Amino acid sequence: MNKTAQKNNGDRDKLLRDAAGVFSKGYVAKMRAEGLDIIEAGGSGPRLFDSSGNEYIDCFTSAATFNLGRGRDDLADALWQAARITDQGNFIAISEEKALLAEKLAAFMPGKLECALFTVVRGEAMDAACKLARGYTGRPGIVTVDGGWYGHTGFSLSMSGTEDRNLFGPGIPEIQMVTFGDIESARKAVSSETAAVVLETIQAENGCRYAENEYYRQLRDLCDRSGAMLIVDESQTGFGRTGKRFSFEYFGFEPDIAVLGEAITGGMFPMSAISFTRTLKSFFDHHPLIHLCTFGGHDVGCMVAVKALELYEKERPWENAKRRGAVLKAVLHKIAAEHKYLIHDVWGEGLLLSIILKDEKKAQRFCVEAKNCGMICTRGRVDRKSVIVRPVLTLSNNDVQDMEECFRKILSAF
Amino acid sequence: MSEKVSDDVRQKNRKAFDLFGKHLSKQQIRFLAAGHLDILESERKGAGFIDRTSGKQFIDAFSSAGSFNVGRRNSQVIDGLSGLHDTDMGSHCLLTSSKVELATRLAAISPGDLKRVVLTGSGADSIECALKLALGATGRTDIIAMVNAYHGHSGYSLSAGGKDYYKELFEPLKPGFSFVPFGDLEAARKAASRNTAALILEPVQGEGGIHVGSDEYLRGLRALCDELGIMLIFDEIQTGFGRTGRLFYSEYSGVVPDIMTLAKSLSGGVYPNGAIVYRDIEVLTKFVDAHPDFHESFGGGSDIGCTISCRVIDFLFENRVWENAAKRGETFRRGLDDLMKSYPKIIKEIRGKGLMLGVEYIHEFMGVLMADNLAKEGVFAAYSGNAPQVMRFMVPITASDREIDDILVKIKKAVKGMGLYLALMLPLAKISFFKKILNNVNVLIVVNNFLRKLHLA
Repeated sequence: MNKTAQKNNGDRDKLLRDAAGVFSKGYVAKMRAEGLDIIEAGGSGPRLFDSSGNEYIDCFTSAATFNLGRGRDDLADALWQAARITDQGNFIAISEEKALLAEKLAAFMPGKLECALFTVVRGEAMDAACKLARGYTGRPGIVTVDGGWYGHTGFSLSMSGTEDRNLFGPGIPEIQMVTFGDIESARKAVSSETAAVVLETIQAENGCRYAENEYYRQLRDLCDRSGAMLIVDESQTGFGRTGKRFSFEYFGFEPDIAVLGEAITGGMFPMSAISFTRTLKSFFDHHPLIHLCTFGGHDVGCMVAVKALELYEKERPWENAKRRGAVLKAVLHKIAAEHKYLIHDVWGEGLLLSIILKDEKKAQRFCVEAKNCGMICTRGRVDRKSVIVRPVLTLSNNDVQDMEECFRKILSAF
Repeated sequence: MSEKVSDDVRQKNRKAFDLFGKHLSKQQIRFLAAGHLDILESERKGAGFIDRTSGKQFIDAFSSAGSFNVGRRNSQVIDGLSGLHDTDMGSHCLLTSSKVELATRLAAISPGDLKRVVLTGSGADSIECALKLALGATGRTDIIAMVNAYHGHSGYSLSAGGKDYYKELFEPLKPGFSFVPFGDLEAARKAASRNTAALILEPVQGEGGIHVGSDEYLRGLRALCDELGIMLIFDEIQTGFGRTGRLFYSEYSGVVPDIMTLAKSLSGGVYPNGAIVYRDIEVLTKFVDAHPDFHESFGGGSDIGCTISCRVIDFLFENRVWENAAKRGETFRRGLDDLMKSYPKIIKEIRGKGLMLGVEYIHEFMGVLMADNLAKEGVFAAYSGNAPQVMRFMVPITASDREIDDILVKIKKAVKGMGLYLALMLPLAKISFFKKILNNVNVLIVVNNFLRKLHLA
């Protein structure tokens, strides 16, 4: 090890010690256990860098945020240009930046999803979606499916399929969980008191499981007949990840509300949103300023998001996601077949894939070995046996080959 | 509309309004138009901005509820965004040097043993995090919050809100909350039990109408929480970072809460960020060690956000901005007190601390009229939809003496301008039927918009 590398590792160790002091020992211990004990220092294209100058293929992408690639200078420039002329703005005020983004987003969204509310964290976006459904329908009931994960705020957490939702006493009431993929179970739960049916099309944190196309169309039909709103969380599946702009297009249906994650700014600015129909927007016309958010629809963020949407339109990363996703999935299936003692299966679609290991420990070790082999990935929050592969959508053919090589190295370390 | 505005700009403005109405909310425009608050902020700098619909210079007396403590578009802060290369928000589960630096600095500047940090994305997100920490750590299920409190609009933060207006359309929300009047220690004592996980309050209520928590009250709450093992949460999202004349409002009383929530001005008004800072005590640290990712915030505590927040803290300390808030706050307060003496039929009470000031009018309908009059004078001040009798004045705390004098002159003119309306309305307000109608915000929105149209025609 040369002197610079020693110094950098020294810096890393000191930062980890400081982090243990100011965040928590448990936090740093967990990072070590999950192969995340690096100090991130930016990124470019499909890779992120650490403070020691190492590069890693980013298969985490902050939970499917960096769809357009890491550290894009054109988005950074849009951020700087925006900050030179505008700022957060008064959140109650009318804003041209918000209006222009809303127009752009309406054009970008498929079908009738023409209206928007901008929020900050994705959990809050889901909370806003549930509130809108309750407010609009005047009904309390929310039906969701098992195995989902939507974020860490009130409604999102209360609907999540992870154990941690039970750590904080009772959650939001009137939430019923049905079996994902089982339309009969949904039919039994949905009634004239149901405000919304909530789900992800592909459960990213649950091994990237998804249902038959027919299931989503039947849910749409069920909602139409009962007057419930269909809410789809696209925070991980949206903006091209599954090979279509939005995953509901892939499955051939349209929700009433789509929850959008930080991919809306390409990961250059903290912003999330809900996109919904004009019919639902009437609620915000009757009740203006009913869901306030100081940083939601931040004028700087809106300008960055407009730039990101332009890039999405221009680069159409969903096409690449479809192409590379198919290749990558085939590669993973091949590798899985060669390592049957370790890998149970490979699920997912486009560039939202999961390697299902034989047990949780193996999945955890996979992530640690991945870091050592130059790749950052995480386990699913719901299915702890799964390792999620969700790289940037701008992968080249060479990147996919690098990933294959990396996966082989990881598995040979077992 | 002013002649200063060119046709091109007028057209651009119209388009912005149309799109806003079409894709976001039409009624919000009408609501704001009733108080002449349907402005478009441009050339934002220092203590104000230019309204693009009138070309008029405005003083920002709302500051996005206290988000601009370093002034609007502070160049020292914004410079942190120049020349970024190979950079983005960063991965939310990975550490960066800026995340550790910000957390370390927050721990260093926070009172007492508030030494541990969780980074978040917004004020509401901070509240979610704080409530979950208290519930998880104590294993209890009840929370005491304040009548008229405001903590945000996400699921659990809304559950802690003390105004039915924001909640009633979305119920049922999280169970276990009880609400006690702000400032009433006895009521808090009666509501508290060994099943209470947390007592949460804004030490100065913002949206609720600028009610200042006395030292005695806050100390009483601290003692009550100590006695029953309740986590005391101070929401300093509006009061923090110098707004009240101290870096944090809790410094006045010396009361160290168990958890303090932060956001708004931490972002410099430039790039969202939030945090909770909690005490280094076993009940809390043990829980976080066991559940280190109990609150994950995508986009919160981002790499860029933390760099910007560090710059905000630099600026606040280099300029000791809280001292400015204290000094200018006194001048502002004196001016408002004098005004109240001159207009006892309009102004009922002046409350607040530092540059977080509230004016309570005698009648609810006066809030909308005053917003209207103030806007005509070039002051952007918001009335609250469900407490329109109280107006918040929260100018950027970097404001100079001259800017404070200027705003006082404008407020005086606006109050004077109330005369004509009041000659008509005060006699009516004595009749309870008319008073009810006058105090109905929805009626006022319609009437004011009608009057504006006549005026414009």
